[in-house]
Amino acid sequence: MKRRDFLKAWMICGASTTFGITRNAWGGASFEGYPERMGVLVDLTRCVGCRSCEAACNKEQQLPAPSAPFDDLSVFDRKRRPTEKAYTVINRYETTKAGGPVYRKIQCNHCNEPGCLSSCLVNAYTKTQEGAVIYNPKVCIGCRACMVACPFNIPGYSYSSAFNPLVKKCVFCYDTRLKNGKSPACVEICPQETLTFGHLNDLIKIGHERIREMPDKYIDHIYGEKEVGGTGWIYLSGVPFDKVGFDTTLGNEPIISNVKEFLGLIPMVLAIWPALFTGFHLLSTRNNNDPSKQGDSHSYREDAKP
Amino acid sequence: MNKLKAQEVTIVDSPYKDPGKTKWSVQEKLLLGLTPQQYVAQALRNPFNWLLAIIFAIGLPIIAGRFLFGLSWVTDSSYDYPWGLFLGFGLFTLVPLSSSGFQLGTAVELFGRHDLKPIERLALLNGLLGYFFAVCYLLVDLGQPWRLPYPMLIAFGPAAVLFLVAWHVATYLSVQIAEVSVSFFEWIGFPMGKQAVRKITLGLTVAGIILSTLHQGALGALFTYAPGKVHPLWYSASFQWLHFFVSSMPAGLCMVIVVGSIVKKTMAWRCDDNFMKNVDKLSITLARGACMGLATYLTIKLIGVAHDNKWEYLASGWGLWYLFEIGVGVILPLVLISFAIRNNKIGLVRFSALLTIFGLVLNRFNTALITFNWKLGEWFIPHWREVMITVTIFAIYIMVYRFILYRLPILYTWKTADEPVHVTEPIKESATYVTG
Amino acid sequence: MHVVRNWLIRGVLVIALTIAPADSRAQNMPDSIDLDSLVQFYEKVSFDHAKHIGLSKDCSVCHHHTTGTPTEDANCIRCHKNSAATAVVACTACHSAQPFSAETIKKNKSNVKSYHKDMPGLKGAYHQSCGGCHARDGGPTGCQDCHPRKKSGDAFYHAGEYAPKTPKNGKSRGR
Ligand code: SF4
Ligand code: SF4
Repeated sequence: MKRRDFLKAWMICGASTTFGITRNAWGGASFEGYPERMGVLVDLTRCVGCRSCEAACNKEQQLPAPSAPFDDLSVFDRKRRPTEKAYTVINRYETTKAGGPVYRKIQCNHCNEPGCLSSCLVNAYTKTQEGAVIYNPKVCIGCRACMVACPFNIPGYSYSSAFNPLVKKCVFCYDTRLKNGKSPACVEICPQETLTFGHLNDLIKIGHERIREMPDKYIDHIYGEKEVGGTGWIYLSGVPFDKVGFDTTLGNEPIISNVKEFLGLIPMVLAIWPALFTGFHLLSTRNNNDPSKQGDSHSYREDAKP
Repeated sequence: MNKLKAQEVTIVDSPYKDPGKTKWSVQEKLLLGLTPQQYVAQALRNPFNWLLAIIFAIGLPIIAGRFLFGLSWVTDSSYDYPWGLFLGFGLFTLVPLSSSGFQLGTAVELFGRHDLKPIERLALLNGLLGYFFAVCYLLVDLGQPWRLPYPMLIAFGPAAVLFLVAWHVATYLSVQIAEVSVSFFEWIGFPMGKQAVRKITLGLTVAGIILSTLHQGALGALFTYAPGKVHPLWYSASFQWLHFFVSSMPAGLCMVIVVGSIVKKTMAWRCDDNFMKNVDKLSITLARGACMGLATYLTIKLIGVAHDNKWEYLASGWGLWYLFEIGVGVILPLVLISFAIRNNKIGLVRFSALLTIFGLVLNRFNTALITFNWKLGEWFIPHWREVMITVTIFAIYIMVYRFILYRLPILYTWKTADEPVHVTEPIKESATYVTG
Repeated sequence: MHVVRNWLIRGVLVIALTIAPADSRAQNMPDSIDLDSLVQFYEKVSFDHAKHIGLSKDCSVCHHHTTGTPTEDANCIRCHKNSAATAVVACTACHSAQPFSAETIKKNKSNVKSYHKDMPGLKGAYHQSCGGCHARDGGPTGCQDCHPRKKSGDAFYHAGEYAPKTPKNGKSRGR
């Protein structure tokens, strides 16, 4: 009986470890990113808050008509975030710095190691070689974990759709433009060239160069160069980033790093638990003093009965 | 029902109507052996049924509306709070409250604690139903519930914690169905099925422990995806899974204590002597386990705060709220339970079990909803329809729970008449095992 | 290739110009320039060059080191302190109308030695350059103050006759 139980235990154990191996996809150590990936350098000191990028995005992504014209500046009276109907929004921040308010564009930052991607249980997200984080609406089950996992609160969801609700977020104009080597619609329309499109590695250099040439103009930091493992859209600002709506407490570890600790435990539990608990079982039922029951592999059930 | 029993109405508790002759038909079994008139009459007499009826009258149309008009009709459709009550309560709360199944399964089947047997089935059922309804809540919450099997069949995101949860809950649900099916096979009269399941009990139980450890922990690990959003006092990168796993244990045990006492009060007619005699004693045994669980939980919670050096947060408003949760939901029940066990005060055990459950619910709500997005300075206030759906599904849960307890041999022992009933045998189950 | 040729031509021209009489450049200087890179949505701008010369006097404000008065920008002086005027001074000569096209990006990348990697495109150069002074000196700053929008622009911005019909209702989704 003992031998049988042990065998059983090892079988379970073996099966579960094999099962565990499939989970090791995350283990690919730290990901350096595609060398050719594109990005956008957003220079907050240049933005004048004309909202042209919002209009361009609306058109390019065929989003529903806005509730106010895109030249209506009263929208700045409250802080907005990207939604299912607007993949990018501009917010205005009054600061003490001379030169008027500061405007900040928000859209998906196309993280190098996206939280949304790593939290998705059906792998609906892809980080393309060109640097875009895109979404496959055909497999999304609508659990909205990606919205929880996005450190920048980017993805929106079309809650109002009863039969095909989807995650909606900036896709770097991947299908219509980026894929074909074109810059995104918002970049193209921006009159101030607040948005500089190019290879991410070059943009980082350009950003540092701007800081070096105009140290009085810029805060000495490129937001997104390192934050949460680095993002594809990076930012320069003339005022401290936390004053203009950036979360400066995120740290430089990608979201997946937090989860790795737990994921690392899984194979261990799968491998050790079966043997451990079967062992416990054998120990605690060993003192069967009724030899007549020994032949029956389920006899332990009755053993303790009076 | 108690009244009916007093009137000497036979209630189904064996395959045969009168010893050794006619068998109950399935319909009669479903009606508990009452005539349809009697059945309806007793149902109408029960005020609780009227409460359920009111809840269903309002809630069921709203549930239908959710599927016809979309989530925005029933929730506030917040982008910042993608998970509302359905998951905050249905998944993050109901699953830990259902950890009873694996715990008692382990104690009885693996550690040979056969003294716990009279409530093992109740604990298993509590586990099964909790998980089942967690999936129901999930179905209401998912944007595209008809794609639920996708992570199993079509698209895999193996690096995602939710992928793990999906697989484990699905597997564990099957394990639990198998475990509970023993009672069903007895009731329906299919001894072969019962025997087949019996053969794999050990495997099922071990699988249960593995799966439970992992997915109870995984529910916590889910929040490590949002390190900046959960308040630091409720968040711990290294221990989040452990906090969730450990706190689920006392909560699951306390759930059995509470259900046990509700059942004892309201369903005495259905419980056999074995259950009635043992339930108080066993509640105290379970409370002992819960006590250990709570103490462990308290320790690792403190370690969590100390490890990341989060003491300064305790001085804030959130800190007070945190202290309240720990004080009323963990320390108080811990003290009360220890006192009650020492003095054998079953009433107090029940009360503190309730308190423990409250503590767990509060903890999950705090993590998933209340302190979530603490940096944004917003509050999660659910839409009334969202609340109504949550209540309705919970009412269905209670109804199904009761439906099964009324019928399947969970609280009583299925008498098999082929075998002369050992009247003197205090634990009648042995008769079942020999023949069944 | 292309760049090298440009430099050659420029070099030749610079030499030629320095030999030529000093006011020959002034004669080529337009009084008004039509800026029409945004005609998709806006009327073209008739830029009053003469007026701006009168207002600023300092050519380098717009033309850097390429013509007229020498540059005073500390960053430019580093290399261009003694740079001679260039042959072509029009904005379009250096600032690309398609700064982010695949070709431009490729060209910039292939030219490892080029210093001006961060040169704004034409539209960016106009707006950054004009906007700075206009804001400081009270010039027009609203989009339509310089270039009225066309019908196509109204459609694009959902403004004017294309403005949303329904009144803005306060209740919007997503707290
Ligand atoms: S990149 Fe495209 S989708 Fe993203 S904000 Fe810009 S226009 Fe919109
Ligand atoms: S910003 Fe958010 S949505 Fe965009 S890639 Fe990063 S995690 Fe994903």
